[in-house]
Amino acid sequence: MTVFLQSVISGVLVGGVYALIGIGLTMIFGVMRVINFAHGDLLMLGMYVTWRAFDGLGMDPFLSLVITAPALFLWGAFLQSAVINRVLNALPQNQILLTIGLGLIMSNAVMLKYTSDYRIITTSYSSASYMLGGLSISQPLLYGFLITAAITAVLYWFLLRTDTGQAIRATAQDREAAQLMGIDVRAMSVLAFGIGAALAGTAGALISPTYYIFPQVGGIFTLKAFVIVVLGGMGSVVGATLGGIIIGVTESLSAVYIASGLKELVVFVLFLALLLFKPSGLLGKTRA
Amino acid sequence: MIARPPRGAALLWLLVGAAAVAFLVVFGLVVKKPYVLHMGIMLFQAILLGQAWNVIGGYTGQYSVGHAAYFGVGAYTTIMLLMTHGIAPWWGVWLGMANAVLLSLVIGSITFRLRGPYFVLASISVAEIIRLAALHFKSFTRGAEGFLLDAVPSLRVLGTEIEFVGKRPFYFMALGLAVASVIANWAVERSKLGYYFQAIREDQDAAHALGINLTAYKNVALAISAAFTALAGGFSAMYVKWVDPNAFSLPEVSIPIVLTVIIGGIGTIAGPVVGAMVLVPLQEILRNPKGLVQVGILSSDSSVVTFLAPFANAHQLFYGILVVLVILFAPDGVLGVIKSSLRKGRRRREARPAAPAAPA
Repeated sequence: MTVFLQSVISGVLVGGVYALIGIGLTMIFGVMRVINFAHGDLLMLGMYVTWRAFDGLGMDPFLSLVITAPALFLWGAFLQSAVINRVLNALPQNQILLTIGLGLIMSNAVMLKYTSDYRIITTSYSSASYMLGGLSISQPLLYGFLITAAITAVLYWFLLRTDTGQAIRATAQDREAAQLMGIDVRAMSVLAFGIGAALAGTAGALISPTYYIFPQVGGIFTLKAFVIVVLGGMGSVVGATLGGIIIGVTESLSAVYIASGLKELVVFVLFLALLLFKPSGLLGKTRA
Repeated sequence: MIARPPRGAALLWLLVGAAAVAFLVVFGLVVKKPYVLHMGIMLFQAILLGQAWNVIGGYTGQYSVGHAAYFGVGAYTTIMLLMTHGIAPWWGVWLGMANAVLLSLVIGSITFRLRGPYFVLASISVAEIIRLAALHFKSFTRGAEGFLLDAVPSLRVLGTEIEFVGKRPFYFMALGLAVASVIANWAVERSKLGYYFQAIREDQDAAHALGINLTAYKNVALAISAAFTALAGGFSAMYVKWVDPNAFSLPEVSIPIVLTVIIGGIGTIAGPVVGAMVLVPLQEILRNPKGLVQVGILSSDSSVVTFLAPFANAHQLFYGILVVLVILFAPDGVLGVIKSSLRKGRRRREARPAAPAAPA
């Protein structure tokens, strides 16, 4: 029982960060109908910014969020206005290929600059944990989760309560109608991509104390992000939050009860099963 | 959108194709430099893979970004049957193709009921599932170590023994496979099946209304594509004499396949050929710039070699740049650019005599 609870807890803690990745992807999809295959590579860039801040400036990885998030926001906004914006009306396949290309450029440029060596960020609390009634809770994962929760709360408030947030949601709901209501949909697209990139970068920073950092790390996160988003229902922010937690727990449980090398495999098999039985996701409208 | 070219054009293409093949056969007999032969082999393999992908991606309009799954299955089946059961690759590769077809039917039946991006996502995840499984189940697949082959058994055809030593036999085998794939694609394009595929690509609802069973024909297209891809996988395993879980890799296998077709021109016979001619030399030169020294194009202390050396590991940077440029500026590929500039030129020529003389 302890083992079970233990793995559920660490699954939820990791799942919170996954949710952040998924929310970014689902926002981009919602507003632009573009599937961003470079999402994991944005996360990878976030990890490298964090690593540079830690290695060069001695900055704590959680504190360096103040650099990582704005840097990735600007990068995402730039990518949207310079590249993605040109293919908004193109075939979905071409959009996918374009973002795959952008991902390749990012990961290989990083590899040219920093080689493909594995980097790690070792902090004083990297392997520390709190004990709670026989359960140990990893400190870096807990801090990461708390920051995630705070960011998610702010994001929900932004999307639900502010004018700009409502404009983003309106654009996602019906781009043309939003435009007719005087919403600057181009600006909203730039904003949404920027926020999505910033969330991916933030997630990268948050997991950097517990993960290896290398240029190809993004690929697996891109795939996980898709599973999360499809699970929650494409375009649904609440669904992505839920999906992230579910995937985190699934991974953690399968690592313990099946094999740690197969935790990702289990997630992808789950994804295929989902496509077979409930492709619209948990909270999605039936559009398939 | 399905236009029949004039009759003369087909004959012309046939002659051009036959001349090209004849040239390549003579070339293969004359050339001695292993680097050049290797370049040819990689080119033919890329054409085979591109034509295979073209059936599902080009004609049927369903983009699979997980063709590494079929490539890897073909490669693993062929090399494992040879190394653990002593079954010659000429027979083993058929089983590899059968396995790939089975796999394609599983993927197809799950995802072709859905529209939208699901097929792309599922195709990627299936390749990833197999890659992770190949890494994990070491007793069956030897994990990351993979299979390393000493020698390919010789083949007896019509009383003559063909020894697979050096690059030349592989060159001719790859050439044969590439030609076969071009012919197969040509046959598919002109068959009733091909028209069904293209109808599905152009408008699924209209095709459905005409009584075309969408799911069934998408599955047929994917199965054809998977079989040829597995054939290329089996060939590659015998040529490289090594298979590891990277045969299922997204950036190393799946993406270059799609790229070959996209760069050349999607849904055309010549597209994968043109795409391979652009992509393969680029890839090989970046991977091993010293090859140019071997051929004698560059001297060993040339600044080009030292400039290119760091890109050996990051050659995908150029894939990325190429994809972005092609999608943004030439979504119909190199052939599309050529065609539209020809059309523009013709229109200008036709317009000129018709235009009334401008008053002086």
